[in-house]
Amino acid sequence: MTEQTHEAQGGELAWQLLGQMEQMTWDRHAGLSQRNAAENAPWFSEGQSLSALLKEDIGVGDTAAVIAAGPSVKRKDPAALIRETGYSGAVVASESAISYCLRNGVVPDLAVTVDPGIERVIRWLGDPNLTEEKLVEDDYFARQDQDDAFADELRANEEILELLDRHGSKIRMALSTTSAKVLVDRVFEAGLQVFWFNPMLDDPDLPDSATAKLQKENGFPSVNAGGNVGTLCWLMAGEVLRKKKVALTGVDFSYYDDTPYLNTQYYYEAVDLVGEDNLESLFTRFYNPHVGAWFYTDPAYLWYRQCFLEMAEDSDFETFNCTEGGILFGDNINCIPFRDFLGNIAADACA
Amino acid sequence: MNDVLKGNFEPKKKVKAEVTEDDAEEKFEREARKRLGGSIAFVSKKKVNWDDYDGNKGDK
Repeated sequence: MTEQTHEAQGGELAWQLLGQMEQMTWDRHAGLSQRNAAENAPWFSEGQSLSALLKEDIGVGDTAAVIAAGPSVKRKDPAALIRETGYSGAVVASESAISYCLRNGVVPDLAVTVDPGIERVIRWLGDPNLTEEKLVEDDYFARQDQDDAFADELRANEEILELLDRHGSKIRMALSTTSAKVLVDRVFEAGLQVFWFNPMLDDPDLPDSATAKLQKENGFPSVNAGGNVGTLCWLMAGEVLRKKKVALTGVDFSYYDDTPYLNTQYYYEAVDLVGEDNLESLFTRFYNPHVGAWFYTDPAYLWYRQCFLEMAEDSDFETFNCTEGGILFGDNINCIPFRDFLGNIAADACA
Repeated sequence: MNDVLKGNFEPKKKVKAEVTEDDAEEKFEREARKRLGGSIAFVSKKKVNWDDYDGNKGDK
């Protein structure tokens, strides 16, 4: 068999858009984020500042494991390994991975949410107002190659509501001031311990910075999210929980090569933009040499990958990508199986 | 200005403007901006800004 070298293929239009993703994200979310922050202000006194976490000792030892919600999670089952090994370091989960964690017997030490979106994000924590009609209107979750539990959406929703109501009070939530009010309501209703932060919407050092204005108004720290909640979990583990070795799981930033385009997050937007026949111009394939397989990514995740690689360049902690798939690899990232991290790295850190 | 430049006859041939590659690219990027974007911003080379403008604000 000829050995393939890792390279990227296709996605010409995605590469063309890469330099504009920051502006596109601002255009898409800045207004909504600021409106959300204003609407959430009455709740700020009901939680603590993110800076309060600096005083807490979370997880044993110097390691953390991030569990995000990429498609590798249902294949690799990192929660099962955490239970099997009795890992006692910090577990940091994206809000989209909370239900997976709880269903598999892992209560995250810290959950993180940052997306300002209104309707969809509530589904990760259980939507008390979910109806069949809503499901018919939005097939987003049904299409995703993520948690299989979402295939039967109403049942999954009931299960998440119940799990979070039962375990919520044990979970710290790093909650963005710009989160949708419906999510904030759900977080407080479920009894999670809230630690507020502002996401950096723009450079806080610039004049008229929206981020600086928010921070001045509410006094909470501002945090660089790196474009998405998975990267933010990594940053929280290293910069807030101050762990020296951080493992990533479920941080694919991509789709498995046999995933139909229909099952990707921006499918409808992509078809709208370039047409069904030209989708390959928006999706880029990467060969991951650590697992010997191809994966493909869309413009948003291509940008997330670039953001992460840039942030990893000067991070003060070590990064171990234990996703065992996906497209996040390169300088400053050690790609190893999660079992190896738990058995060797984490064990040594606790010794 | 419009009053100065307006035409006073109907040309026989209809003039069709050519769509250049730059126009098409610009249009694509404009359309892309309406549809795509990340979940939240990324700010180059910054991590956490801990400065509390009011150190006690928000703390329980």
